[in-house]
Formats: sequence, C-alpha cells, structure tokens
Amino acid sequence: MILLQNVSKSYGKTKAVDSLTLEIKKGEIFGLLGPNGAGKTTTVKILTTLTKPDSGSCFIDGIDVLKNPQEIKKIIGVVPQENNLERELTVYENLLIYGMLHKVKNLKERIEKILYTLELYEKKNSIVTTLSGGLQRRTLLARALLTEPKVLFLDEPSIGLDPHIRRQLWQIIRKIKTEGRTVLLTTHYIEEAEALCDRVGILSYGRLIALGSPSELKKDVGEYVVEFIDKDGNLLSEICHSREEAYELAKLRHNGVTIRKSNLEDVFVKLTGERIEK
Amino acid sequence: MTDWYPVFLKEMLQFRRKLLRLGYIFSAMMAPIIYLITFGLGLGKTVSLTEGTDYLTFLLPGLVAMSSMNNSYAWVASSLNLSRLYFKTFQILIQSPLKPFSIMIGEVMAGMVKGLFASFLIITVGFIVPSNFSLNLVFLLALLINCFMFASLGVITGMITKSHEDTATYSNFFIMPMAFFSGTFFSIDRIPMIFKPLIYVMPLTHTNILIRKSYFDLEGLISLFVILFYSICFFHVGARLIKNYNE
Repeated sequence: MILLQNVSKSYGKTKAVDSLTLEIKKGEIFGLLGPNGAGKTTTVKILTTLTKPDSGSCFIDGIDVLKNPQEIKKIIGVVPQENNLERELTVYENLLIYGMLHKVKNLKERIEKILYTLELYEKKNSIVTTLSGGLQRRTLLARALLTEPKVLFLDEPSIGLDPHIRRQLWQIIRKIKTEGRTVLLTTHYIEEAEALCDRVGILSYGRLIALGSPSELKKDVGEYVVEFIDKDGNLLSEICHSREEAYELAKLRHNGVTIRKSNLEDVFVKLTGERIEK
Repeated sequence: MTDWYPVFLKEMLQFRRKLLRLGYIFSAMMAPIIYLITFGLGLGKTVSLTEGTDYLTFLLPGLVAMSSMNNSYAWVASSLNLSRLYFKTFQILIQSPLKPFSIMIGEVMAGMVKGLFASFLIITVGFIVPSNFSLNLVFLLALLINCFMFASLGVITGMITKSHEDTATYSNFFIMPMAFFSGTFFSIDRIPMIFKPLIYVMPLTHTNILIRKSYFDLEGLISLFVILFYSICFFHVGARLIKNYNE
C-alpha cells in the first residue's frame, strides 16, 4: 500500500531522512518509532505531499506521490502532530470546510455520522479553543476520517494526552483498523507502538535500523531483561534470549535485581545505545 | 469553477466572528478617521489644489484607496503568514485536492471582501462629512481592482515571510510609503520631478489617479492598464508560490 524507495531529505546540513526504503502492507497499522528528530514527521510530510524529498521515490496505492500529488490527496487522511484545526471555528465548521475542500458527497450526513461515531456530537457547535486537548485530538481524527481515506497518517496522535484519554484514542484507532484502512502511525511512546502496531520500523537519525512486528523485534534482541543497580548506584540492564539465561545472570548480580520481559525501548537501546523516551 | 469557495468560506466565517467583536470595526476605521480629521479638517486647509476642488472631496477617494489597500493586503498577508507558520492550518489547503489557482482565488476574494468592507466604512463617512464626494463606475472599478491587486500582493507576502515580524517589515517598506507618497493626501503634481519615476512605479499611485476620475481619459486608461498589469503579475506570482509550497 505504501512504498518508499531510497528516500532522503536534508534540512541544511541535517539529514532528516536518510535513504529510507520501506513497504507497508494494506490494512496494517504500521508504527514508525524513534526519538524526537529521528525523521518520523519528515517521512509523514513527504508521504502527505507537504514536503518534497531530495531524492528517492514513494508510492501510495500504486500512485506516485511526487508525480501525482493531487491523486494522493484524494486517498489520504492526516492527523498532524500539531493541532491545525481552525481555532476560531466550531467543530462542525472545521469538518464542513474540510469536507468541502475534499468534495465529500452527502457531506452533512457524513459529518453527523462521524460526530456520533467519535462521540463529538454534543460539542459540534463548540469553538475549537474551548475544547480540551483530548477533544481537539478527536476532532482532528474526525476530520481526517471524514473523507473515508484508504490510508490514514497519525503523527504522534497521543502526544500531550493524559493516559486515560490516550487509551480512549487507542480504542478508536483499533476500530479504524477493523474498517480495513491502512494506518501509518508515528510515535515515541513505546507502549503505544506495542499496543497498536502490527509492525514497527525503528528510525534513528533518519535511518531505518530495525523492521518487524514488536514480538519479532524483541525476540531478535532478547525477550528478557535483567535490571540491577551497580556499585555506583546506576540502574543497568542486560538483555537475555531465554528465561534460564536471565536467571543465571541475575544470580551474579546482587543489588536491586529484577527480571522483566523486554520492550521496544530495550530493542532501541540495544541497537543504538540511546533511549527513545528521553 | 467554485473550487475556491471553501477557502473563501473559511475566511468569511472567521471574519464574521471578528466583526461581531465591536473593537474590530472601530480599529478598521480608526486610521482613516484620524487621517480625515488631521488632514481633511485640519492641515488640509493649507493644501492648495490645482484642480480647484475642495480638499475633503480630493482626500476621501484617496482614503478609500489607501484603506482598501491596507485592509486587503494586511488581512491576507497576516492571515496566511500565521496559518502557514504558527497555526499550520495552511497545511489543510495544501493537503486537499484543490488546485493552487483555486486556493489563490479563495484567499484573494476573502482579502477583497475585507478591503471592500473597510472602504464601505470610509465611503459612509464620506457621505456624512460636508464635501462633494460621490461614487461613479470608474471609482468602483478602481476600488475593486485595487482590492484584488493588494490582496494578491498580500498572498505573496504571506507566502514568503519567514516570521510574523517580517510582515510588519514588508509593510513598513512597501505599503506605508505608498500610503503617503502615492497621491492619497496631496496631488502627485506637487512631488519634485526627480522622485516622479519612483512615484509612478507605485501601484497605489495609479489607483489614486483612476479613483478620482469620473470617466476614462488617456491618463485614466494608462492607470487602469498599469493596475491591471500589476494585478495579473501579483496574482500569477502568488499562485506559483502556493504551487511550489514545500515545508
């Protein structure tokens, strides 16, 4: 459904995306995971026609993003990282303008339906600035879904939301998947990637350093983690491939030893020596 | 053909909310009224006009031209600049299947409405104060083209500025000198010959010439041609900037 081939983009001397090659299958939720500045948002901007890459090619549903951006715009929906709703308009007016821009058929019925689905109906006449952060995010999602896009881009969809609202949003995203849409989600929340994504691509300094399902990636680097405190009081960890190996290792450590299952943060640390959630 | 309408509607919905705040109308009228009082009723008495008309009758069309320029230009430039750099709402237009030409038309039409609204306020004042101020078709044509021209220039500024402060800088360099030296407050005949080529390059000069005509003579036709030329150029450049938009 989405194909990137050797895509590169630099801003001045900074390489935001570096020779990125990636294929995302139809109907999957794919997560681009990485710390701030890893190139996730730039990748989304390239695919959603906001930014032109310096080199490489990309396709969505077989359509060349660079050669045919007008066609791409008809099949995608975008929830950007920054809230770009018209702040002085109401929820309904935001959806109305967006629907008109995209020539959505039966627009008024469609707006009513999406407002009900995302539990925003009560707020339809509220000015955006009067809404909570969670409701504004939901309005962004409603707007992106209004056109029934084949591919949905969610750029850090839960950034700044409290855990309760974040989980509500995850439920909605899972529901979107059941409708057969392809979702490309960027996040630097490990928990979010593990909870939602069928497959994950890990980015570091614009490069794809790992690709696979969360369980595959964890299996590759080791499924168990032994954490302990060294003599200087630092919390250290070592990844093990089996439970037995982890127990053996734990016996050699004395202070604050715990054994836990590995997560994608451990994968990232193992591959880069840095942390995602800094 | 009506692809531009959602862009225009978006701006109008926002404009309507601003209009409902009383402060907006007062702020739109403030500068022209100050000029009207200072120049028209005060300093104007010392200005001699070769045309033999009274100063207020001379000044009012100039104030309409200046006000339509300021409002068409500033609204579009500021709104585009903010939506592009700060609120990121411009992304919605770029990510829609709308052609850049349609986005341009929508933005310019919205700018024209704002310019015409401010002009309407001045025209109303013009009929209240004692003068021989009157409207005619040439006046209305000049006003419409002026709004179109400066709304298009506003798009260019809104698209090229790198910060909101830059908008004020452009305004200080291009718009403010035009407001004062293009024949708004005094006849351009009184400007020294050495500066005249520069004055005739300014588009507002030609609006001021045209807006004071009651019929098309040669001078009026030349000015009409010049402002149409500027309008087409500004519109074309603005549409190209939207087309080549890249974050």
